[in-house]
Amino acid sequence: MHTLVIRTLLERLGGLLLTLFLSSVVIFSALLLTPGDPIAALAGGAKPNPELITQIRAEYHLDDPIWLRYVQWLGGVMSGDFGRSFVYKTDVLDLVLPRFGVTFQLVLLTVVFILIFGVGSGILAATRGAVVDRTVAMVTALGMALPTFVVAILVIWIFAKSLGWFPVFGEGSGGLDRLWHLVLPAVSLSVMFIAYISRITRSSLVAQLHSEHVETARVRGIPRGRIFRVHVFRNAVPQILAISGTTVAGLFAAAAIAEQAFGLGGIGSLLTEAAARKDLPVVQLVSLLLVTIFVVLNAVADVLSAVIDPNTVTTGRRA
Amino acid sequence: MHRTGLIAGLALGTAALLAVTACAPRDGGSGTTAAPISADQLVASLPAATTAVDEVTWSVVEGEPATLDPGASATVITPNLCDNLLALQPDFSIEAGVATSAEWVDPVTFVIDLRDDVTFWDGTPMTAADVVYSLQRNQNPASQWYAAFVLISSIEQTGDHQVTVRFTAPDLGFRDAIAGGGGAVISKAFGEAAGPALGTSDAGLMCTGPYELAEGGWTPGSEIVTTANPDYWGGAPLVETLRYVFVTDGSTLTTALTEGEIDGAYNVSPGSRSAFEADGAGSLILGPSTASFSFGPATSEGPAANPQIRQALSLAIDREQYLDTVLNGLGEVQKTIVPPFTFGQTEAHDIYQAGYDALATPEVDLEAATALVEESGEDVSQPIVLAVPAGAKEFQQTAAIVQGAGQSIGLTVEINEMQPADFGAMFYDPAARDGIDLVATQGYLETPGVLGYPSLFMLPEDQGGVFNWSGYSNDEVTAHMNAARTATDPETAADEFVAAQAIFAPDQLQVTLAGSYQLTYLSDDLTGAVTSIAIFSSPWALHLGAK
Repeated sequence: MHTLVIRTLLERLGGLLLTLFLSSVVIFSALLLTPGDPIAALAGGAKPNPELITQIRAEYHLDDPIWLRYVQWLGGVMSGDFGRSFVYKTDVLDLVLPRFGVTFQLVLLTVVFILIFGVGSGILAATRGAVVDRTVAMVTALGMALPTFVVAILVIWIFAKSLGWFPVFGEGSGGLDRLWHLVLPAVSLSVMFIAYISRITRSSLVAQLHSEHVETARVRGIPRGRIFRVHVFRNAVPQILAISGTTVAGLFAAAAIAEQAFGLGGIGSLLTEAAARKDLPVVQLVSLLLVTIFVVLNAVADVLSAVIDPNTVTTGRRA
Repeated sequence: MHRTGLIAGLALGTAALLAVTACAPRDGGSGTTAAPISADQLVASLPAATTAVDEVTWSVVEGEPATLDPGASATVITPNLCDNLLALQPDFSIEAGVATSAEWVDPVTFVIDLRDDVTFWDGTPMTAADVVYSLQRNQNPASQWYAAFVLISSIEQTGDHQVTVRFTAPDLGFRDAIAGGGGAVISKAFGEAAGPALGTSDAGLMCTGPYELAEGGWTPGSEIVTTANPDYWGGAPLVETLRYVFVTDGSTLTTALTEGEIDGAYNVSPGSRSAFEADGAGSLILGPSTASFSFGPATSEGPAANPQIRQALSLAIDREQYLDTVLNGLGEVQKTIVPPFTFGQTEAHDIYQAGYDALATPEVDLEAATALVEESGEDVSQPIVLAVPAGAKEFQQTAAIVQGAGQSIGLTVEINEMQPADFGAMFYDPAARDGIDLVATQGYLETPGVLGYPSLFMLPEDQGGVFNWSGYSNDEVTAHMNAARTATDPETAADEFVAAQAIFAPDQLQVTLAGSYQLTYLSDDLTGAVTSIAIFSSPWALHLGAK
């Protein structure tokens, strides 16, 4: 039992490193192969003349072959140097980390909403009869159809403009003020995912409720509450967790839309801006961070599943 | 109950979405409900404030700057930090600044006398050496003011508080340039220590302006916090903390402004006019501007390089419709690329105005336009490619209007929406202009000076025509423009410029679509802000404060 968990962990770690390496190659070459030129970003606002362009190209090794630039970049990364932003001319790590904090808090709050309302409504739908089930089904159908930016406009209109309860822009000044500023963005971001997780939760629970071992337990006269906790919920958790892992990782990427709509300085908005301006070091670091989060969260979900129910390790492995 | 609530919310939300995204009148004609604007409604500045304010939050619509170095780019933040030698006024007149006088003593010698009571934020006095250092930085081609400095042979300290600039040929426009960022004064000691990082969030700045950028005041990606300079030679400003945030999303900014979460912003979108004019925390203020929307040729080959084709397109575009659709009525028809506000306060403004008035007013004449296309002899079977920057609604609408106009006279216009990096590359890399015939842009002049803008488009490339991509060359224009630049008195300069303009304007090196007003949204609690295009060159928050 213990060795299985450790083996999963090691396998995951190896997979993580391999995925990161491959992604870094793909991200690096994709960025260099896309059209457009970072000179505009590098020259700041100046109108670059040929001498300035030559000087910049040499300074940033823009004329070196791709593989050489990749090796140089990788060497830097290994020693903790992720390069300097072409646009801001500051250390990329200094630029990305504070913004990552904002996105991380936004995602965390979103996850709380998803768990409470997504898993909660899924449990209700699976256990509280046909009327509740159908109502949840209708609401979640609507929720899945609402893109984040539409929800953003909707909640801004209702809760910020009409009721005036929440602010409409910015990340606040930390602490409770930050939380207050993040509520509406988190709501916008969570609606679609709440609906999704609600449906996943419902169907895994229903599958368990109709399974053989639950029937047996029922026949043996075990109380309903205990059956649900021990036999139904516990068996459904790995699947919910696995899906949640991917979902949460996806939230980091999806956050860009909520960040844009609420003027939050997170990594999503940084990534879109940096990509448009060809600020390569920023795009590379943010993309790598996103890939890392994606892989790590998936691994964590798998390991958690294994801890909760080791039997699922062989069947529950995903991706 | 819950479900009905959500569906009602959705219906209302959809309505809100339409209101936000489809603000432009759909009929595009004269059916707009927005009231027309007359020129006397424009204000260049608001009455000076009298009451102090702790903090003002200002949004920079253009997004976070890469640097605050005045030599590298024009931002609305820098003018509050760094004084220029001469002070550009809201009405575009020029007055003394940290220089008590700056005049030509002979056709090639320019003497700058400095105040002796100006200190940098760190308390060190501003010296002639600082001014020499600051001006010399612009002799580098990387400076955005380089063009105004190319005829300079030397910049020297000639007294404790005096700097003398010598020229290889007369250059009347230099005085205008030092009322803008080209005359910004930076501490020599600080600049030399900071090196190329000067102006970035790491190194910061050291200037003499009414607001200070303290160490750590710039949090990249988040905000720039500046504080009142208590020892400012022109008197300390009333706003203690002026905090800049960067909201680039138009609808987010509109809501934050009207809800009072942000106190003010310049260059707000004309598309949000109705939201700004509705009840809210502040008001939309219209000011005079030099900004205009235009398009011009990007190639020396094919129809776009032929003036007759550009004239035909110009004759096919309904300027009033353009103003209604793209600017929501917040602009005016402009005859050529140099608008009257540029020269309104100059010495020879009567001559400039007469020259402007003599130009033809743009009109719609499809028959004449079609005839011009035929006369041109160009092969118009291939589409003409018009490049516009992606993501900006104004440019999507501009492209659609040009396309429609082309269609009505037998020209096929293909739209190429380009990402910022690619669009930017066109301005220095000829290869990036491959396959592009026309480029649409919005431009403005930060300072007076009629020559700056046309020189870039009309003159041969080796004489400063860096955007003369169609290879336009007219000896008469070149001669008049050079005579205007090197004239030693303002009247001769004006006469020569007007003579050049009479020739180049009809050739439509830039087909001017509309002049746009300077749009400011400001909280009703505040006053004292500059509200003309002078915001890019003058300390617009110096007199800002509560009513």
